[in-house]
Amino acid sequence: MSIEVKGVSKRFGDFVALDDVNVSLPTGQLTALLGPSGGGKSTLLRIIAGLDSADTGTVTIAGTEATHLPPQKRNVGFVFQHYAVFKHMTVAKNVAFGLEIRKRPKAEIAAKVDELLRLVHLSQFAHRLPSQLSGGQRQRMALARALAVEPTVLLLDEPFGALDAKVRKELREWLRRLHDEVHVTTVFVTHDQEEAMEVADEIVVINEGRVEQVGTPDELYDEPANDFVMGFLGDTTVLNGVRLRPHDVHLSRAPELAGAAEGVISRLLRVGFEVRATVLTDDGEEVHVVLTRTHARQLELREGDRVWVTPASGAASVPPMVATAG
Amino acid sequence: MASTSSTAVGNGSPVVKWVLRLLVVGYLLMLVIWPTAYVVRHTFADGLTGIQEALADPDVVHALKLTVEVAVISVLINTVFGVGMSLLLVRYTFIGKRALSVLIDLPLSVSPVVVGLALILVYNGRFGWFGPWLEDHGLQVVFARPGMVMATCFVILPLVIREIVPVLEELGDDQEQAARSLGANGWQSFWRVTLPGIKWAVVYGVVLSLARALGEFGAIKVVAGNVGGDTQVATVLVQQKYQNFEQQTAYSVAFMLVFAAVLCLVVVALLRPKEGKER
Repeated sequence: MSIEVKGVSKRFGDFVALDDVNVSLPTGQLTALLGPSGGGKSTLLRIIAGLDSADTGTVTIAGTEATHLPPQKRNVGFVFQHYAVFKHMTVAKNVAFGLEIRKRPKAEIAAKVDELLRLVHLSQFAHRLPSQLSGGQRQRMALARALAVEPTVLLLDEPFGALDAKVRKELREWLRRLHDEVHVTTVFVTHDQEEAMEVADEIVVINEGRVEQVGTPDELYDEPANDFVMGFLGDTTVLNGVRLRPHDVHLSRAPELAGAAEGVISRLLRVGFEVRATVLTDDGEEVHVVLTRTHARQLELREGDRVWVTPASGAASVPPMVATAG
Repeated sequence: MASTSSTAVGNGSPVVKWVLRLLVVGYLLMLVIWPTAYVVRHTFADGLTGIQEALADPDVVHALKLTVEVAVISVLINTVFGVGMSLLLVRYTFIGKRALSVLIDLPLSVSPVVVGLALILVYNGRFGWFGPWLEDHGLQVVFARPGMVMATCFVILPLVIREIVPVLEELGDDQEQAARSLGANGWQSFWRVTLPGIKWAVVYGVVLSLARALGEFGAIKVVAGNVGGDTQVATVLVQQKYQNFEQQTAYSVAFMLVFAAVLCLVVVALLRPKEGKER
């Protein structure tokens, strides 16, 4: 039940949304398409669903050539960012929609709707209208509706994008647990790297219409293929001409390690449990360092203090590309 | 709005408020209420006898029946085409879309009399572009029902479309896409998702065009030929009776037309609040 995308390109006028994309999304896993806005990830998802058509290339879903199939024949479940609920139908009717279209027996539909509403914790809202639900509840209903037709793949387009931060966090944990229960091949689009890393088994990083890297969250974080992936997955800084994460910089008040760069703390910023320090090295580099609050207190750091910085052992790093460095 | 609100409109002095209200009410009184009330008063000047006498005239009964028949057929045709054209205008892009959109508003700006004349020029049985051929095949358009229906359709063309288009635009195509992804084909998605979404716009459009169709005068007068008891509709009959000094009949029929129009609006007003509660 995997999804194979081969050589897919898509243009909107002069804008190249997808440029010869090849990607294979494995069966039964939760895959995130991660990238900045306008990078082409939603377009790729919509092409897989059949809601947009590719200019060139092919899409194969579960071994079936689907490139020219209309969306209703692909057996995919699609969840939209803005829910796309059927406003005039009750919650139960929304969930039952796909089954009624398929002309399943009434008793079977009722049983299935009941089961799904229990799964998404909306049983008590079955006879409400969507307008009486909160955003998070609507999206859970949309998910139940998509799952009702037992799709071969479930596609979610920025499913939590329209929700507030707290609900978003709850829902993505819930999605992860749901996937562990249902095991349907799931692909979701997000621009939030934390969301992708927390929920997904595998992440496909897409930027400017191209796939930058495919891998597990750990692979991407520890061995980014390039500067872009490294920069997109978290903050970066440059030390001794090498790009690395600010929390992978070791900071000390004495030259303990060989090759440490000497500098002066130009700025200290405390945000909750972390302390962000900017060190101006004698070589003229501006190095960002993140320490825990406890560590910073132990070192008794003050602005203007002289310190030594060096990459911590085991730090992931890539040489910065000239074009984007600095 | 709370009385303490300080919006630009709400903070006028009580005097200004009352003057404005009087102005609006006075305007409506002079323009709408008084003339309509006058028609009603004249209709019932002798109790129900006026209406009874009018309904005893076979020409009146025929004209009313014909009016209803033409209006209903036109509204049916216009609703089907209106929904279709609205979908075309909102959901698809094609060359000439803006031209089409402008063309749809044409009936609002062109005088109905001109519409009638244009139809005669094209479909006239003797010298029209298309008429002789149609008549050879047994279809008389002008001075017959087809022409009357066409004239009415032309006049009410924008009413349904202009109600539906904004609603369709606001609705977006998210729900339709969701329906497609859930297995619905185009037709199922239209019946189950799109149509319920634009239901109230359609009802409004239908009622408006029905009211307009019942009252149509100019175009239909030119096209119909006005043979009493054959192709004369109620509005034209009112004019004729009035000119022939049968004023009691004229007022009675006029009242019936007003009554039908008001009934249409009342039906919509009664249906509408339920919708509000649903949302």
